[in-house]
Amino acid sequence: MSTMSDTLHAAPLPLDERVPYPALVAGLALLAAALGLASVVIGYVPFDLGAAFGDLLDGRATLTALVLAELRLPRAALGLLVGFSLGLTGAAMQGWLRNPLAEPGLVGVSSAAALGAVIVFYSGLSATLALALPLGGMAGAAAAALLLNVMAARGAGTTTLVIGGIAINSLAGSLTALALNLAPNPYAALEIVFWLMGSLADRGTDQLRLVLPPMLAGWALTLSAARALDALTLGEDTARSLGFDLAALRMRLIAGAALAVGSAVSVTGAVGFVGLVAPHLLRPLVGARPGRLLLVSGLAGASLTLAADIAVRLLPTRPELKLGVVTALIGAPFLIALIWRLRREEA
Amino acid sequence: MRLRHLLGLAAAVLPLAGGPALAGGDAPRGKPQRIVSLNLCADELLLRLVGPERVASVTWLARDPRGSTVAAQAAAVPVNRGLAEEVVPLRPDLVLAGKYTTRTAVGLLRRLDIPLLELDVPQTVEGVAEQIRTVAQAVGEPERGEELVAGMTARLDALAATAPERRTTTAPERRTTTAPERRTTTTAPERRPTAVVLRPNGFVAGSGSLVDALMTRAGLDNLADRLPLGSQGALPLEAIILGGAERLIIDAAPDAPPSLAHAMLHHPAVEALSARIHTIALPSRLWTCAGPQIADAADLLAAGREPAP
Repeated sequence: MSTMSDTLHAAPLPLDERVPYPALVAGLALLAAALGLASVVIGYVPFDLGAAFGDLLDGRATLTALVLAELRLPRAALGLLVGFSLGLTGAAMQGWLRNPLAEPGLVGVSSAAALGAVIVFYSGLSATLALALPLGGMAGAAAAALLLNVMAARGAGTTTLVIGGIAINSLAGSLTALALNLAPNPYAALEIVFWLMGSLADRGTDQLRLVLPPMLAGWALTLSAARALDALTLGEDTARSLGFDLAALRMRLIAGAALAVGSAVSVTGAVGFVGLVAPHLLRPLVGARPGRLLLVSGLAGASLTLAADIAVRLLPTRPELKLGVVTALIGAPFLIALIWRLRREEA
Repeated sequence: MRLRHLLGLAAAVLPLAGGPALAGGDAPRGKPQRIVSLNLCADELLLRLVGPERVASVTWLARDPRGSTVAAQAAAVPVNRGLAEEVVPLRPDLVLAGKYTTRTAVGLLRRLDIPLLELDVPQTVEGVAEQIRTVAQAVGEPERGEELVAGMTARLDALAATAPERRTTTAPERRTTTAPERRTTTTAPERRPTAVVLRPNGFVAGSGSLVDALMTRAGLDNLADRLPLGSQGALPLEAIILGGAERLIIDAAPDAPPSLAHAMLHHPAVEALSARIHTIALPSRLWTCAGPQIADAADLLAAGREPAP
């Protein structure tokens, strides 16, 4: 189990030395910021953005200021936040489970979060208490992560993890379908696409306000585990002898994943593959340091999500394509290539 | 035509007593007595045309007052969920179905030679009238059908008479409030306010649709054709908001159970828009189906044309 991750981490060391870490972080932050700006600029209807900003700052309630404040800005911000949450959690899970295929989508954390959010939303609970929506997502994500923890404790190899992920995904997916079909609103059953594929279409400031605090808390928890994740690459015994409490580390990562991914999915649905692609793209650049991988994977995840969300608005489909369709079009071939490489290394 | 074919089928299946329907006394045998409907819009027409004693079953949707205008009448009638196995044991002598719904059940009923009338979705007021007449004829209540059509047409015509004239030579950009140059003393205002429709999932009503026809009769100028992304289907909210309409017509279902489709109608951007332009809340049941109730919808639209300040 550790040999596989060792081979994965060991090879690309030279690259690591070519790109200094602070420069990498700064570069990715700039990229994410630029894509965030592009997401605000590239909407459906062109309008004078400068004037709209001016109106917004001066408190003039023009239509363009309204669109900017209530549609464009929250959409870009949510893309950034959700992408960061997925990328960060993907990197953390790969370090924690020491498995290159660990990712919120593949292991079922996202679909379980969607199930939690669906139950809370369609039962009407979130209409009385708005906070119930992210809480439902978090509960679902936490349940899947805890289940994963039990499997990992028994020494889960890639196969166990992937099969476990398939099981959680199909269970959560079918329970989501059941909940939506039981929902009294006739539109509900059709909305499964949103929950399984994810979308940022017409999301707004109310969703943004709702998920920002839990996301930031989840990021803080996950990022604080960086040194422990680095130590874990030396093996569990060594990490323990270095003074890291591994049980506490796992709980911290589970809580971090539940807070960040659970709240993200509760407002945008499950956007797949971001947590898989981002860490793998960045790993060669940070070397065998899962701790260093966290922040850069978050930034890459944000960039990837924002770019995909710009793409769905540029593609001439109406209504727009779900975000998860684009990330899967990138992510699924990536996953196949990854499995191919793992097989070769195992052989 | 389809109707004649249907009546032919009915003649083959039913042991007709012959001659015209008998008035009074026991139920005339020429009229279907165990009618089943598989579509909400057919439910509504059916329950307006015949008494519940002749209706064997309607859809479960007919009992929901949010979407149905005949919820009270439907309470006394057994309901179905559009399945053939629910319909066949009722031994219906006429089944009404939507042209685009419950296709599996309809296919089976057709194979069993059960008399069937399929209803299209009319896109004009004339089409609505024709459909009411068709159904009325099929259920053996042509006089009642004429009554419904006459009532609806009279109300819609009365509205059209009070509405300001439609300008055929509209400039493409008429967003800014044009100063009315010639103020006359007539009660009818001289300019039609522009309006945009917002239904669940961001659906708008384009030109050529029934809602568009109702807006025209109510004196509103449908903005849909001038929206940035077109007038058909689901549009992103920013296209609807930036269209610059003076009235927002929204599918009002304040007590609808939760769905993303309806949540969109309460998006902060939509709420901010309705705070600044007059919003006409149209209950779903008045425009979900094309029946006599469209006169109620048109009345509400006309009332919202020149809102009281």
